[in-house]
Amino acid sequence: MISRLSYIFRETGASMQRNVTLSVAAVITSAVSLLIFGLTLIIQHGFDNLLAQWEGGVEMIVYVNAGAGDEQRLVVEEALSQQVGITIEDWSYCDVTCSLTDADRLFAGDPGTRAQLTADNIPTQYKVVPLDATQVDILRGLRDRYLELPNVYSVQLAEEQLDLISKLQGFVSTYTTGLWIALMIAASLLIWNTIRTAMFARRREIEVMKLVGATDWFIRVPFMLEGLLQGVAGGAVASIAMWFINDRWTAGVESFPVNSGMTALVVIDGYQWQVALILIVFGALIGTIGSGTAASRFLDV
Amino acid sequence: MIRLENVTKSYSEEVIALRDASFEVAKGEFVFLVGPSGSGKSTLLRLINRQERPELGAVWVAGRNIVDMPGNRVPMLRRNIGNVFQDYKLLSNKTVFENVAFALEVIGRPKHVIRQQVPAVIDLVGLAGKEDRFPDQLSGGEQQRVSIARAFVNRPLILVADEPTGNLDPATGEGIMRLLDRINGTGTTVVMATHDQRIVDAMRKRVIQLDRGVIVRDQARGVYQ
Repeated sequence: MISRLSYIFRETGASMQRNVTLSVAAVITSAVSLLIFGLTLIIQHGFDNLLAQWEGGVEMIVYVNAGAGDEQRLVVEEALSQQVGITIEDWSYCDVTCSLTDADRLFAGDPGTRAQLTADNIPTQYKVVPLDATQVDILRGLRDRYLELPNVYSVQLAEEQLDLISKLQGFVSTYTTGLWIALMIAASLLIWNTIRTAMFARRREIEVMKLVGATDWFIRVPFMLEGLLQGVAGGAVASIAMWFINDRWTAGVESFPVNSGMTALVVIDGYQWQVALILIVFGALIGTIGSGTAASRFLDV
Repeated sequence: MIRLENVTKSYSEEVIALRDASFEVAKGEFVFLVGPSGSGKSTLLRLINRQERPELGAVWVAGRNIVDMPGNRVPMLRRNIGNVFQDYKLLSNKTVFENVAFALEVIGRPKHVIRQQVPAVIDLVGLAGKEDRFPDQLSGGEQQRVSIARAFVNRPLILVADEPTGNLDPATGEGIMRLLDRINGTGTTVVMATHDQRIVDAMRKRVIQLDRGVIVRDQARGVYQ
């Protein structure tokens, strides 16, 4: 077993050395495709953060002044309850703790502003799910009425923020997904071609191996390992590049104006490490698929 | 050890390499396959190690019909058949030792077995002291000895040799024949395709003559013509 493993690693290393130009090209191509895939995941996660407060069909948020007591909030709750079954399907109260958690995500890219929000000064929220989200005029009418209630700090409608972000998210998602799929196919094909070239370069060895009774799997494995390593190397390079880009973006967002609406469009919750792992696994997959098909297809060189 | 029953093999409608060939080779026999180029000698050897499959007939090796043998069993078959070629098929980036060891390494033999068997077989073929040389540092005869060492290191039941003296001068060719005869003396069945009349006549072994894919003569202790 040990001698087999030592043979496999030795042959894989020798093949990569002989094929160094193609190996580097395969690693770069897979790294670029995986980087775009990783950035797509990161951007999607950023958009999710941006839209976090509107999850669950929420179309309107009524912000109540910090420090408003239970009796003062009762006025707002009665006004909301009167509309349940008429224009409102449901509403829920987001207390101080819940509002601070929302702020963590909304101001993730603006730690300065987030630091100013405390349990004493953060407005709490009523999240409202309407019966029919398409009846924008009704929602606007409700907003105007709730703004007149005492202790209401502001009322925000999803249409003001959600439509633009949703469109942007859809656009980015569609085009980056198309791009990373195309590039991953290209990376896999390049690895396939690299392995084909490696097998052609070693056709005499393969012929001898077959004649002395080596199994097809024994012949294939070093080539498959070569492709796997190229894919994993591509995934590792992509992960480093993604970490760097995300870090620079996060630093840049801090300088955006608070009302730019972009302060939530960052990923700092450890999700980037999950994405790095995904990239390495995907790299290993495209490497193995590319090299595995080539090693099977061109064994009779 | 080897039995062909009514074997026909063609490469196209016009090129029929073997027609209805039948013969049997006993364990420990030494058989020459003779005939002009294109008579079917190499095809016959390729049928024995399952590099080719016939359209018709059966090829029995060590008691098994290998024609319909599943692909995953073929490596096991080949571990019992050593192959020697006219062009040696040595790996130029490996030393004598590594070329011979390669045959054991790729079938998963442990290192201690390789360390034990390879020097012994290198000594057997008369190349002791040249283990660290590369093929291009050896003469043609020495390269063919390495090829024979690689074919024999796993102690196969059968050794098939396709024109092993074809690229060698007569004196060197005789040395290779003495080596093959010695290997045959250990009980290994040897089937050798050749054009070399002098060698066939000198050895006086069984001769199977082919002409355009047909066996035209099968003679014990025969001569070339």
